[in-house]
Amino acid sequence: MAESVIHQGLAAEFGHVEADTNTGISNVKLAMWVFLASECLLFGGLITTYLLYKTPLTTEQGPSPREVFDIPFTSVSSFVLLMSSLTMVLAVSAIERGDHHRLRAWLAGTALLGGTFIAGQIYEFTAFKDEGMGYTTSRSSSAFYTLTGFHGVHVTVGIIMLVSLILLSVRGKLGVHRAESVETVGLYWHFVDVVWIVIFAVVYLIP
Amino acid sequence: MSTETATPVPTTTLDGADEAYPRDRQYVLVALALAGLTGIEIATYAAPGFPLWGWGDKAGLITVLMILMAVKFWTVAYFFMHLKFDKPLLTRVFYAGLILAVAVYVAVLTMFNVWYPGSHN
Repeated sequence: MAESVIHQGLAAEFGHVEADTNTGISNVKLAMWVFLASECLLFGGLITTYLLYKTPLTTEQGPSPREVFDIPFTSVSSFVLLMSSLTMVLAVSAIERGDHHRLRAWLAGTALLGGTFIAGQIYEFTAFKDEGMGYTTSRSSSAFYTLTGFHGVHVTVGIIMLVSLILLSVRGKLGVHRAESVETVGLYWHFVDVVWIVIFAVVYLIP
Repeated sequence: MSTETATPVPTTTLDGADEAYPRDRQYVLVALALAGLTGIEIATYAAPGFPLWGWGDKAGLITVLMILMAVKFWTVAYFFMHLKFDKPLLTRVFYAGLILAVAVYVAVLTMFNVWYPGSHN
């Protein structure tokens, strides 16, 4: 007990100290980073496939993704997702200060912004379909929907994790000692954001 | 001797960071910078002839967009994902995966677009 009190006192005075592992990093956090590194390969493969097949073989195969893009709309969606990273990091900051009221507010804000992004993606997909670009219309449309759809699934999984954190917090099961859970979900959320930064530039903006 | 205790240990003792995480104000400033960079990205679409990216038959546009993308990516990873403040091992783990992915896919794109152009059609 006394050891723990001293440990916490040191943490409060000097900020972060070593975790009780060989690396000095908690295993959960290290595992999340390794997972995110592997996710780079997943999204790299999907982006590469899109770049290879972004042009339909013939004009009879329907419009190419670039012909149906609504850049102003997607720009707003991108901005929404970018700002969700801010609310997420503020949630991490709130729980590290033990401010559970703000934690729930920022987590809810992040989930709401993520939900807005997904709603925008559903609207965008529907509009593309109406313009003649379905999933199986051409190889370029398949590559586009697979890439952005995978990203959308990642955002949805992130929203589920955020809602789970809110419920845990409401039930009083997300104390300051479990702030690392919020930080780990935050890492996942920020990664989803950086993947979209790449997709937005490479798929939507670069000619 | 076990280091486990009944008293919860603050997260700050678990995450193995080298420095204290920044305050909220710094996060907001970083987000504003990211919003500004996104604004420039959108401007490349809205004003394609702007001299900064209008040169070289799309080469300027591609260069500017790639730089903006890389800066935004790095900023989120560095500040929001705390790579600036955490132990360097985490940076190495993440960038190892990222560099491997970029290298593999640049090789694939080179193969199909340079060495065997059109072979994937």
